[in-house]
Amino acid sequence: MTLTAVWAVAAKDLRVEIRSRYALGSVLPFAATMLLAFGFALGPNRLLLQQTAPGLLWLAGLFAAVDLFHRSYQTEADTGALDSLLLAPVHKGAVYLGKAIAAAAQVLVLVSATAVMVALLFGLPLLRFPLLLLLTTLLGAVGLSALGSLFGLLTVMGRRQAALPILVLPLVSPVVIGAIRSTATLAQGSTAGVAGWLGVLLAFDAAFLATGYLVYGHLIED
Amino acid sequence: MTFHVVELRAVTRVFDGLPAVSQIRLDVTAGETVWLCGSNGSGKSTLLRVIATALSPTFGTGRVLGFDLRHERDEIRGRLELLGHQSRFYGELTALENLRFLARLYGVDAGRASPALERVGLDEVGHVRTASFSQGMRQRLALARCQMRDPEIVLLDEPYAGLDVDARVLVDDLLVDAAGRGRTVLVASHEPPPVDAVSRRVFLEAGRITVPQPVTP
Repeated sequence: MTLTAVWAVAAKDLRVEIRSRYALGSVLPFAATMLLAFGFALGPNRLLLQQTAPGLLWLAGLFAAVDLFHRSYQTEADTGALDSLLLAPVHKGAVYLGKAIAAAAQVLVLVSATAVMVALLFGLPLLRFPLLLLLTTLLGAVGLSALGSLFGLLTVMGRRQAALPILVLPLVSPVVIGAIRSTATLAQGSTAGVAGWLGVLLAFDAAFLATGYLVYGHLIED
Repeated sequence: MTFHVVELRAVTRVFDGLPAVSQIRLDVTAGETVWLCGSNGSGKSTLLRVIATALSPTFGTGRVLGFDLRHERDEIRGRLELLGHQSRFYGELTALENLRFLARLYGVDAGRASPALERVGLDEVGHVRTASFSQGMRQRLALARCQMRDPEIVLLDEPYAGLDVDARVLVDDLLVDAAGRGRTVLVASHEPPPVDAVSRRVFLEAGRITVPQPVTP
């Protein structure tokens, strides 16, 4: 029953997102604009652009993802659909995991698309270790989504939209730093230290997911 | 000793220091259809949401189907359906997809979605996204959700709001059908009860139950 609920929520969220095209129509252009703005601000120094590109990639991904998390709950709150999740006779951790899985898939696509833009605009060589880069992106996306899916709920339960970035950004810093360091190292054609950063990402992903699973019910319940 | 499917004792719910319902004592036996009457703001919706476990009582205790309102919420939720002010559907999903999603989430056979749609006259728009549905169609879809789940207790909050004549008949049919099959129904409405299936009326005023009265023809 719990696994069925996890997949039902994840599939529903993804279907809603695919049809609304919010990430494509709104979030991705935001990431592209941010990259362009930074590109022009940093000037034509190719070395500087390449050095800062991994950081810009993950910052663009982070800000876009925060918008995505808020939006995914806002629609449910506006239509009352959040009540359907609340009143379902399932462990609320299952609802959380479903939402986190769907959010991770969206963030993965978002960061991947942003990575293509970074590679084209800043000339960042991202395909030297494609599997390790994919793993970094996956773990980074899971970390962002695990936390975003938890705190996104707070913005609609208490109508405190401003609280989302205040809560998410400091806590998610280790994930962003780990993803940036791993991406930067791989782009430089090295794997030195990457295993350590991937370990950091994995540890934070597990911690965030476990915390979310346990406390989500307390947040969504009255 | 009579078993009460709903048993509330001194239930009080406070919002921002103000009680929306206060010192509610209510017993409902299985198969009863109870009509909660009262003006806007009298606490009808809050009372239904407390029984549905969407809200916790601030004070007092309660049991629904023998389960504790605070500590056994999921046991209650699996046996009860609340049709509230909002339809609770996803506009990007079709009517059928919405029902099938809820079936999976609530542990109901998803094969019951299509017949439920047919019963409320929405079978021809089953593959249409609900974003394009009128308020009345959403209410019909909510009735379909209720019929698909076939819960032991049905809570209806202003079920006639926004409905045309045909759809109002659907609500009446639901009440008659539920009564006929021994289901318990609580309806919050400022309208008078329209069918003979109603067992009794309970009046709320400023969050308190005033005078329970039998229904007279």
